[in-house]
Formats: sequence, C-alpha cells, structure tokens
Amino acid sequence: MKLFWFEIYKTFSRWRTYISFGFIALIVILTEVVMKLSANEILYRMLRSFEKDFLIFGNVLNGWFVTAFIMNSLHFHIPFLITLVAGDIVSSEATSGTVRFLLMRPPSRSRIITAKYLTTLFYTTGLVIFLGLICISLGLILFGSGDLIMNYQVPTIRIAFVPEADVPIRMLLAFAAAVWSMTVVASLAFLFSTLAENSIGPIIGTMAIVIVFYVVGNFPFDFFRMLSPYLFTTYMVFWQRFLDHPIPWLEIGNSAAVLGIHSVCLFSIAFAVFNRKDIKS
Amino acid sequence: MNGMQQPPPEIVLRTKGLSKKFGKRWAVKDLNIEVHRGDVFSFLGPNGAGKSTAIRMILTLLRPTAGSIEIFGKDLQKNRSAVLSRVCGIVEKPDFYLYLSAYENLKILGSMTRRVRRDEITEALDVVGLQSRAFEKVRTFSHGMKQRLGIAQALLTEPELVILDEPTTGLDPQGMKEVRELIKRLAREREMTIFLSSHLLSEVELVSTRMAVINQGALITQGNVSELLDREAMEYSIEVSPLEPAVALVRKLPWIEFLSSENGCIEVRIQPGRAPELNRVLIESDIEVSSFYPHRTLEDFFLKVTKGTSEI
Repeated sequence: MKLFWFEIYKTFSRWRTYISFGFIALIVILTEVVMKLSANEILYRMLRSFEKDFLIFGNVLNGWFVTAFIMNSLHFHIPFLITLVAGDIVSSEATSGTVRFLLMRPPSRSRIITAKYLTTLFYTTGLVIFLGLICISLGLILFGSGDLIMNYQVPTIRIAFVPEADVPIRMLLAFAAAVWSMTVVASLAFLFSTLAENSIGPIIGTMAIVIVFYVVGNFPFDFFRMLSPYLFTTYMVFWQRFLDHPIPWLEIGNSAAVLGIHSVCLFSIAFAVFNRKDIKS
Repeated sequence: MNGMQQPPPEIVLRTKGLSKKFGKRWAVKDLNIEVHRGDVFSFLGPNGAGKSTAIRMILTLLRPTAGSIEIFGKDLQKNRSAVLSRVCGIVEKPDFYLYLSAYENLKILGSMTRRVRRDEITEALDVVGLQSRAFEKVRTFSHGMKQRLGIAQALLTEPELVILDEPTTGLDPQGMKEVRELIKRLAREREMTIFLSSHLLSEVELVSTRMAVINQGALITQGNVSELLDREAMEYSIEVSPLEPAVALVRKLPWIEFLSSENGCIEVRIQPGRAPELNRVLIESDIEVSSFYPHRTLEDFFLKVTKGTSEI
C-alpha cells in the first residue's frame, strides 16, 4: 500500500499527468458549447432518417445523448492520453536513473511493478471517470435531461430507446466498461514501458498497435473480417452495448472476458520481464 | 603464554565465485572478496574492469551468472529484503526525481526501507549541508549537491553497509574533498562499513583501510592498503651526512639497488622489510640519518598489479 501511495504521489506530482485531464476538459467544453450553439442542425441530422417512420418528441438532444456522442467520438483519443502515463511509468525511471535507487531497496521487484501497475489502472480509471463526470455534468447543465435515443448502424440499422429513469445506471455501466476497455491499452503501454528505457517508444508503440488494429478490424474485406475476432480493439467498444435495448449481456460478457484475459496476459509478461531484467543503465 | 589473540574480523560482505557474463564476454569472473566490519574498502580497477558490474550484482540490479553473495552472513538471494534494509548504495551517480524536492525524495526513498520521521530527514540534510534547500526541486541542484543528497539518503536509514560506486565522479576538487570527508566521517562517527569503487588512486589512499584490485573481471589482489603497498619493493629517500661514505656503504650492500645521490640525499630501491636493516647499517657506521622516507604510491602499485592496462 505504501509503494502504491508513493507511485500515486510521484505520478500526480508531474505536470505531464494533468495534460490528459486538461485536454479532456478542453475538448468536452468546446464540443458541448458548439453542440449547444448548433442544436438545431444537430437535431435535424439526428432525426432526418427517422422522421418519416417515428413520431419523436421530448428533449432528444439532452445531456445523456451528448455524453454518449462524445464518448463515441473520443474512444480513439483516450487511449493516447492513457499511454502518456502508462507508457512512461516504468521507462521514465530507467531514463532518469531512479530505477537503480528503487531496486536497491528492500521491497521486491514484484511489489514495485505491481504498485506501478495499480497506479496505471488508478490513473486510467480516474481519467475515464473525469471524462464521464465532466461530460454528464456539463451536458445536463447545458442540455437538460431526457430519454436516451441512440442510433445504431451495426449489426442492423435501428434506434434504441432508454427511458430517462434507466439512463444513469446505464451510463454508469457504460463508463465502467470503458474503464475495462482502456485497461487493455494501459496494460499494453505498461508492458512496453517495462521493455523500454525511454517514454516515447512505449507511447508510439502502443498507439501504432491500436491504430493498426482499429484499421484492420474495420476494413470491409473478408480477410480482415476474419482477423477481427482476434484483435482486442474489436471488443473495446463494448461499452456502447450498455446503451442498447435490450442489453446484450452475452456479448458484453464475452467482450469483457476477452479484454480481461488480454490485460492479465500483458501484465503477466510485464511482471516477468521486470523481475528478470538486468539494470545496466 | 601468548598475548590475547584478536578475534577474527566480522565479515560484512563476501562474494564467492561471483561471475557475470554478457553475451560471450565475462564482465566479472570468479570474484572472491571479503569486506570486514568498519572497513573503508576500496574496489579498484581500470575502466571496464568489472567494478560496476560487481557492485550492481551486490545491490541486486544484475543477476549473477554464477556464484553467490553473502551480506551480514546471509545469502543475498534468499534474504534480499532483510539484507537490503541494512544496506544503502549509490551506483555511478545519484539520480533523484527531479520534479520533487530534496525532502520529498528522501521521504520516498527512505520510507522504502523503513518509516522515516521528519526530523530524521532534516538531520540528514543538515549533515550534508542541504537543509536550506530542503524544499527546492532537485532539478535546480548542481551535480555536487545531488551527490551530497545521495549521501544524505544513505545516512537516513542508518545502514550498516554503504556501497558507493565512484562517489566523486564529476565533482570539482572542493566537492571531492567534501565527499571524502563525509565518507571518513560516516566510517568514524557512525561506524558504517564503506565499500567504494574508484579509479582515483589518491582518493583511495586518503580514505581506505582495505582494498581489492580487479582487472578484466578477475580479482588481482586484496588486503590491507598499507600491507599491500609494503609488500612491494620500494624506493626511499634518505637524508644522510656525510654523503660520500654513505653512498660507498650503500653500494656494497647486495640487497639494495642504488639509484642516485644528490644534495645530501640518497635514492635507493630496496626489498620489502629491509628498510630497518639499512637504517641500522647506516647508524652503526656513524652516518647521521636525518630522514628516511618511502616513495611508495598507490599509483605505482596499481599500475604494477594491473600491468599497466589502467586508463587512469
């Protein structure tokens, strides 16, 4: 616990850690203000394909919808922000030479690497919760509350309706799932961080893998569709399923299990590497 | 009846057949050294001799390819945590979290060994003269100040064994002197055992009680500094009067190599242990001996045992 506290203290003593929070605050405020100013245009685009078939009334462009919209837009950017800390947390100790001081101390390497991993998860969770809080609070202030109407294209084109009373718990589950998804990215960056002696490599390496997997997983060719189930990025958007109707629990369970196995495997490798690593620098 | 026998010295650090291989190259091979309690033990060797590799194995930064390390009589691998709670080390240069203050660095690093109180941190900073900079970021510190901060964190947990890898590297003469004085004070006042590697022979001669010399990863010799130096043939300057009869007398002695005479002084090279005999011969021949001092240097010794491979 003491080691974990020290890691938290060190992580949150660096200004780099706050870049992500600043970026999220900026982008969310900007997006929501622009959405508020362009509310009519957005409503028109949202509803034009359904207007002929459905009678839609009430506060459709509400804070919950805006939150879901921003989460959907940012699920590619958040991994990058996570790598800023996850890719740096071990490698920066090697760069600065402080890893020597750490590993000469009585605590075992296993405890040190576990404390660092827990700190990475803490930061990841904190970042996603921050995103959720700022999106929802500002969204509700600017747009008010209401039922959540989501427009899905996959596997079929449809709309899902979530009553206003159910939305908070659905959002909570969705953000929990987002944390779970981001844990894989954090674990990947963390593994690269144990392998590298500078922070740039792990950040670029992680983002390169995430981008390639996203691209490969979304190519509309049969060959790439075959690969899709083997790419962890395929499962990372499973948080969206909590805003669907009905909630596809089996699919959610499957995605959560695949992502969990990835996180455990990536951390296990990082753990083994760190424990056997010779500190030559 | 013999006089009281001295108890054998307590061995604080012992390596047995310690070896490390990087690829096909042995950085350290079959290293057997012993450090006694209270020693200021110098670990000497030319650049690339394997000093840092050996120290990193002792501090668990590198995994030995073969051999074992005992500290305080316990196997390091099996008792890592217990052993390292009594040891402190600085490898190469002391690196700290630059974005934290000196106080915060000591708090974090010290607390990894045991609970440290605020007054202990303040005292450690005071000893190394950094109390007034306690709450400034380490980023603003000079190399010498970081070196002193490194020693402060060594003091903080009151280790019994302090391992310093080239502790004066990069320091100006004043900084080197300060660190040397600190090392001596740690050994004298706090009864710490100091193990230090260095390639600065003058520094070793000034602070060390025992030493080991390694070259190309292998131990060349180890022992008491003065005994090791006395073991080798040495040159002496002898101030005598009158000069001529003294020179004639010295030339006749078979175990002596006459070198020169000038300004009432004879320069000779003699075998170890012969100095008192030479002094006696001169006095018994009614030659006045005003001074008799050796020209022994650690540098000569070092170059000899490493066969001139040093890059000092």
